[in-house]
Amino acid sequence: MAKSTTLSREYLYPTSVEEAVGLLAARQGGARVIGGGTDLMPDIRRGKLAPGCLVDITRIPGLDRIDVAQACEAKPACEAKPACEARPWSVTVGAAVTFTSLRNHTFLKQHVHALVEAAASVGGPPIQNAATWAGNIVQAMPAADGAVVAVALDAEVHIVDEDGARWRPVESLFEGPGISAVDPTRQLITAIRFSPPGFGGSSSASEAKPAWGTAWRRVGRRPALALPILNCAVAVSLEEGLSGRSELSREGRSIKRVAIALGPVGPRPERMREAESFLTGRMPTEEAIARAGELAAGEAKPRSSTFRASREYRLEIIPVLVAQALSAAFARAEPTVG
Amino acid sequence: MHWLEQDSDNRNDRTEARGSGSDQRVGGPPDVRRERDMSISFQLNGRPTTVAGDPARSLLDVLRRDLRLTGTKQGCDHEGECGACTVLLDGVAVRSCLTPVAKAAGRDVVTIEGLGQSGALHPIQEAFVELGAVQCGYCAPGMVLTAKALLDREPAPPRRQILEALAGNLCRCTGYLRIVEAVELAAARLRAEATPGSSHPRAPVSELGAPQRWVVGGDATRVDSVDKVTGRAQYVEDLRMSGILHARVVRSPHHHARLVALDVTRALDLEGVVRAMTAADIPGENGLGDYSRDEPILTPLNGTCKMQGAPVALVVAASPEWAQAGVEAIEAEYEILPHIFGIEEALAEDAVSIYPEGNILTTEAEAHGDLEEALDRSDVVLETRYHTTWQEHATLERETLLGYFDEKDRLTVVGGTHQPHWQRRYIAAALKLDTERVRVIMPPTGGSFGGRQDPWPFVATALATYGARAPVRLTYTRSESFEASPKRHPYRVRYRVGATADGCLTGIKVRVDANTGGYDGHGQYIANYALTASGGPYQYRAVDAHAQTVYTNGPKAGQFRGFGSPQSVFALESTLDELAERLGEDPLEFRRKNAIGQASTSFLGYPVAESLGYQEVLDSIRPRYRSLLEEAASFNAGSSSGGLRKGVGFSGMWYRFGKSGTLRIEAHAELSQDGGFVVYCSAPDYGQGTNTTMAQMAAEALGVPRGRVRVVNADTARTPDSHIQGASRATYFVGGAVCRATHVLREEILGAAAEMLDRAPIDLTLAEDRVLASPSDATEGVSGRVHAEGAETSVSLVEVAREFDRIGKSRKTRGVFDLSPLFPEDTRPEYIPLFVTGAQVAEVIVDTQTGEVVVPRVVAAHDVGRVINPLDARGQIEGAVVMGIGTALMEEYVPGASTGFGDYYLPTAMSMPEIDVTLVEVASFEGPYGAKGLGEAAIVPSAPAIINAISRAIGARIRSLPATPERVLSHLTADS
Ligand SMILES: Cc1cc2nc3c(=O)[nH]c(=O)nc-3n(C[C@@H](O)[C@@H](O)[C@H](O)COP(=O)(O)OP(=O)(O)OC[C@H]3O[C@@H](n4cnc5c(N)ncnc54)[C@H](O)[C@@H]3O)c2cc1C
Ligand code: FES
Ligand code: FES
Repeated sequence: MAKSTTLSREYLYPTSVEEAVGLLAARQGGARVIGGGTDLMPDIRRGKLAPGCLVDITRIPGLDRIDVAQACEAKPACEAKPACEARPWSVTVGAAVTFTSLRNHTFLKQHVHALVEAAASVGGPPIQNAATWAGNIVQAMPAADGAVVAVALDAEVHIVDEDGARWRPVESLFEGPGISAVDPTRQLITAIRFSPPGFGGSSSASEAKPAWGTAWRRVGRRPALALPILNCAVAVSLEEGLSGRSELSREGRSIKRVAIALGPVGPRPERMREAESFLTGRMPTEEAIARAGELAAGEAKPRSSTFRASREYRLEIIPVLVAQALSAAFARAEPTVG
Repeated sequence: MHWLEQDSDNRNDRTEARGSGSDQRVGGPPDVRRERDMSISFQLNGRPTTVAGDPARSLLDVLRRDLRLTGTKQGCDHEGECGACTVLLDGVAVRSCLTPVAKAAGRDVVTIEGLGQSGALHPIQEAFVELGAVQCGYCAPGMVLTAKALLDREPAPPRRQILEALAGNLCRCTGYLRIVEAVELAAARLRAEATPGSSHPRAPVSELGAPQRWVVGGDATRVDSVDKVTGRAQYVEDLRMSGILHARVVRSPHHHARLVALDVTRALDLEGVVRAMTAADIPGENGLGDYSRDEPILTPLNGTCKMQGAPVALVVAASPEWAQAGVEAIEAEYEILPHIFGIEEALAEDAVSIYPEGNILTTEAEAHGDLEEALDRSDVVLETRYHTTWQEHATLERETLLGYFDEKDRLTVVGGTHQPHWQRRYIAAALKLDTERVRVIMPPTGGSFGGRQDPWPFVATALATYGARAPVRLTYTRSESFEASPKRHPYRVRYRVGATADGCLTGIKVRVDANTGGYDGHGQYIANYALTASGGPYQYRAVDAHAQTVYTNGPKAGQFRGFGSPQSVFALESTLDELAERLGEDPLEFRRKNAIGQASTSFLGYPVAESLGYQEVLDSIRPRYRSLLEEAASFNAGSSSGGLRKGVGFSGMWYRFGKSGTLRIEAHAELSQDGGFVVYCSAPDYGQGTNTTMAQMAAEALGVPRGRVRVVNADTARTPDSHIQGASRATYFVGGAVCRATHVLREEILGAAAEMLDRAPIDLTLAEDRVLASPSDATEGVSGRVHAEGAETSVSLVEVAREFDRIGKSRKTRGVFDLSPLFPEDTRPEYIPLFVTGAQVAEVIVDTQTGEVVVPRVVAAHDVGRVINPLDARGQIEGAVVMGIGTALMEEYVPGASTGFGDYYLPTAMSMPEIDVTLVEVASFEGPYGAKGLGEAAIVPSAPAIINAISRAIGARIRSLPATPERVLSHLTADS
C-alpha cells in the first residue's frame, strides 16, 4: 500500500545552526541533514535511506561563505603573494558551499589548485552547482574527489550537535566505504577549514616566495561525468630558503612537509604515509619523486572494478599519477623553477 | 496531437497562484516551518505557483506529472546522469531529477516552457534551429537551458568553456558540434555583435521569405525543430489520456533458467493492479513473427529464459508505482541453468546447449577464385583476429509506447519504430486480430539507431492494452532498457589476407562470428551484412568468406546503426593497416591502389549496381591526411611531448545500403482542399530528419516552397507500407517514391489547370498557391478561343482542388520507386550491390604512461550521392564521428552488470573533436536527385580510424574494443 500513497515527509529550512541541531534532536533519528541532495536523493529513491524529515542547511545564513583569513587583510590576496608565505592564511568553507563556488573562487584559483581542480572533477557542472563539499565528505566514498583533496589538505571540519561544537580532522571521519563518523541524523558539519601545508604560523618575513603548492591528478573513463579510476591530491611545502631569493633553486630547499592522498585505494580516502615520510627532509629531485610514486604503489590497496579498471592497472598508474602530481606541486612551490 | 484526446483537467487548475508574500511559503519568513504535506510556492516561468505533496519528490516529477510541463525530459532513472531534465533554479542549471521540489521554495524556476513561447524564439533556440543542433531533440530543452545559464553569466565564453558547461548533458545524435556552434552564434547575437543573417557564414534558409523554389541541396532547417526546442513536441511520455493505465514487466533475473512456477495471484490482490498477464493470456502466437523467430513474447511455464531480462509476465495497473508493486508481488521460480556469454564457449564441443538445434542461428558464405593459390603467390600473408563488444543504443528517450483503442476501435500503438506496418503484423498475429483492426503510429521519437526495431515493446503494449481494454503506457526504466533492449552484436573476426610486395591484395579469407545473445532479434540477417562488409571496396583475386550468427546467453542483439557492418569493417580496416605497415606502404595509398572502380568485380564476385565514389573519397581526404601525418611526426619528434604521442589513423569502408525489406516502395501525394500539399509515406523519423527530407523532395518536385507541403509519415492507417526502414534506405527508396508521387500530382494539377485556363500545360507553372500561365503573347487558347486582354491567367490551387472534386478526379496520386526490374527475381544476387563509401582520418594523442587517449581531430569524407540537405548530412556525420569515439574508446556493455548512463560511458561534449566534413557528391544512378543513403554509413569508419591511430601512436596493435586506458596501457607495457 505504501507504494502508491504519497509519503508524508517534512522538509525544513532552519535559519541557524542551533535551530538545525534542535530540529534533528527533536526527531530522534527520524530527521536527516540535506545539502545539495545529489547523493541523498538517489539514496532515498533506491530505498537505502528513508528519512521522515529533511533538514536543509543550505539556507542557513553564512553557511554559503568562503572566508579567507589572512594577516594582510588590507591587501587583496593576490597582490600579496609574499604575505601568503609570511603570514599563512586559513580558509574556511561553509557547509552549503557548492563545488561550483569553490572552483570559481578567485583566491582558491590562485593558491589552492588541487581544491579547485578537484571541485571541477566532480560529475559535471550541473552536479557541481548543487553538490557541497561537506556532503561529499560525509558520504565518505573512498574515491570522492572532495574527500580525497580534503585529506591531502589536512582539512578539519566543524561538527555541531547537541553536545556542542568541535573541530576534527577530516581524515578521522571515515570509518569505512560510505560510513562516516558524522551522523547526519543528529550532527552537522558547518564548515571545513584548512591552511597552507606545513605552516604552523611561525615564519620569517624575509622569505619572499611561497614555498608550498598543491596539485591534483585524476584518470577516468571519460573527461566528464565519470567517477575516477584513480584520483590523487598532493600538498607540499619546502623548508625556508638558506640564501637570498635570487639564488633559490629547487635543489636548494628540502621538503618540509608533504601529503599524498589517493582514492580509491582502500576503504576510505587514503594517505600514502610511507611515500610521505620517505620524501620528508629530502630534496625534491626527480629520483626522489619517482621513488615516492613507487612507495605509494606499494602501500596502496586498490581493487578491481567492473566498469572502471582492474587492480593491476590502478597499481601501474599510481606511480605515474603520484609523480606527476608531486612534480606539479613542487613546481608551484618554486614557481621560478622549471 | 490531433489523434489523442486531451485529458479533461487543465494544467492551470493545478497551478494555484498565490501572492509571493503568502505566509504559506516555505523558505519565506524565518519563523515559518511547514508541517507534513506542506505546500511549496515558487515562481515558475515568471508565474507564482504552489504545489503540495511530499516535499522530497523530485522537481522533475512535480513539473511533469503535477504541473504537466512535459518539456522537461527524463532520460535516466533520476540518477543525475543525463541532463535531459535540466532546469534553471535562480538562473543556475540544475538536475531537476535530483532536486527535491522543496528546494524550489521561494525561488525562480525556469523550464523550457519559459523560453520563447510567445512567438519569438529565444536567440539560443533560434540558433539551435538554424544550425541544425536538433536531431531527435530529446536533449534540446536541457541543452538550451544549460546554454542560457552559461550565457547569462558569461556573454562571451571561449569554446572550451562552452564544452565544459555542456559536459553534463548527454546527446546521442548530434556529436555536439552543431550545439556548440549554436551556442556561439547565440552568444554573438546576444552581444549584438552579430545581427541575424549578417556576416555569419551559415545564414538560415528562410521558410517564410520569398518563395524558394529549389529546396534540394540547400541547408534547410528541420520542419519539427521549433517544436523540439520549445518543449512543445509531444513524445510518447508526454501524451496524456484519461483513464490511462501503466504496464511493467516481470523479467527473469537469471542469464539462463527454466521457468518452473509462476503465480500472479498476489499481484492481482493489490488494489491498484488491473491485470497480470502471462503467456497463457496471449490469444494468438506467442512470438514476434519472422522478425525474431525464437523469441516468445512471454516465456511460458516450463519454457527457458535464455537471457537476463527475458520477460515472463506483464502487470497493468493504475499507476507506475502500483505496477511496480504488482511486479514485485508476482512469484516466479526458476531452475537455474549454466550460462555462457562468449562466442568461443558457444562454439566449443561440449558447449552449453541454448537451443536444441545447436548454438548457430544462421550462416552465410561466399567464395570465388582459388584462395590457396592466391595466398601462395603472395609475398606477405597476414593472419589476424579481432573482437568487438556489446554496445547499447542509449537513445536519450527510453522505450515508451502508448496503446489505446482509436475512434474506429482499432487497437492502436503509438511508438517510435522503423517498421510500423510490420509491427502491426506482429501485433495482429499475437492477438489473433485482423491487421485492419490494428494501427501503429509513429510519434516524435527520441532517437533509435536501430534500437526501436525491436517488436517486443509493441506487442507487449498491445497485449496490455488488449487485456485491460483501456489505454496503457509502457515505459522502460533506463536500467530495464539496458537489461532488455537489443544491443550491437559483438563479433569475433579472423582474417587471412595476402598481398604482393608491391602492395596488391591477392586473396582474402574471413571468418565472422556474431554473438546474437539469447534470441534471434533479427540476428538472422546480421551474418549477411557482416559478410558483405568484411571485404570492403577492394579487389581480390580470390575470396573465401564465411559469417555466422551464434547464440549465447548474453543480451539479445539486434540492429544498430551500420547493420552489422561496423564490426567487420573495424576488423578489416585494422587488418589492412597491419598489412600496409608490414609492406611499408602508406595506409591511404595502399587502399587507393586496391580500390575497386565502377566496373570492377567486387569482393562479392560481381560489380556494384550503383555509382561508386570511393576513389573520389580517397582523393578528397588525401591532403588533410598528409598534413596531419606531418604534424604528428613533428609533435613526436619534439622534446616537449613528454609521455604523449600523436598518432594518425586512416580507415575506409563501404556500406551496403537500401536492401531491407522490399525493393518496391510506394508513396502518395495529395492536393488538399485548401490548396496545400500532403505527402503520405512511411519513412519514420526518429530524429534523423526524414520528415524534413521528404518535405524537401516533395517541394522540389512540385516546385513550391517547402512550407506548402505537409508530410503524414508512418501511420499504418494512413500511409503506405514501406516494410522496414533500415540500411539508410529512406531517402533513396521512400524519397524516390515521394518524388514520383509528387511529380505525377504536379502533372495532373497542371493538366486540370490547363483545361480551366484554356492553355497548354507546358505554359503553366505551379507557384506558391496557384497555377500561373506564362505571360501570354499567345492570346489564342488551345481550344482556339481567343482570350480577351486581361483574361484569367492564373487559377488558385483551391479552385483546382474544387475542379478535381467536381469532375470526380482523385486529388491523391501514387508514386512507386521500384528497383525490382533492375534485379529480376530469378537472377537477383544474394547481396544487392548498392554501396556507399567513405573514409575517415583520426588524430589521437596517447598518454603513454596512463593509456589515456584523446581525439583532437577527425576528418571525414563520404560519398553521399547528391546531397539533399547539407546541414543534415553534416549533422549525421558529426554525430557518427562522436558515436565512433564512444565505440573506440568508451562504450562497453557488460551483461548482468551494466545498468545505465552511470556505468556505460557515452561521449560527452568534452570528448568532441574538431570535425572536418567533406561531402563527396557522386550522383547515384537511380536515387531521387542522385541521392544515396548516409545515416548509417558515417559510423562505419570512425572507430577503425581511431584504433588505427592509437595503434600507430603506440607501435602496438589494439585488437579489441573499446580501447580503454587500461587496454591501451597493457599494449604499451606488453610490447616494451
Ligand atoms: C551524476 C553524478 C555524478 C557524480 N560524480 C561525482 C564525482 O565525479 N566525484 C565525486 O566525488 N562525487 C560525485 N558525485 C557525488 C557528489 O555529487 C556528492 O558526493 C556530493 O558532493 C554530496 O554533496 P551534497 O551536498 O549533494 O550532499 P547530500 O546529497 O545532500 O548529502 C549527502 C550525505 O551527507 C549528509 N550531509 C550533507 N551535508 C551535511 C552536513 N553539512 N552535515 C552533515 N551531514 C551532511 C546527508 O545527510 C547525506 O547523508 C556525483 C553525483 C552524481 C549524481
Ligand atoms: S533525468 Fe535527470 S539527469 Fe537524467
Ligand atoms: S538530438 Fe541530442 S539526444 Fe537526440
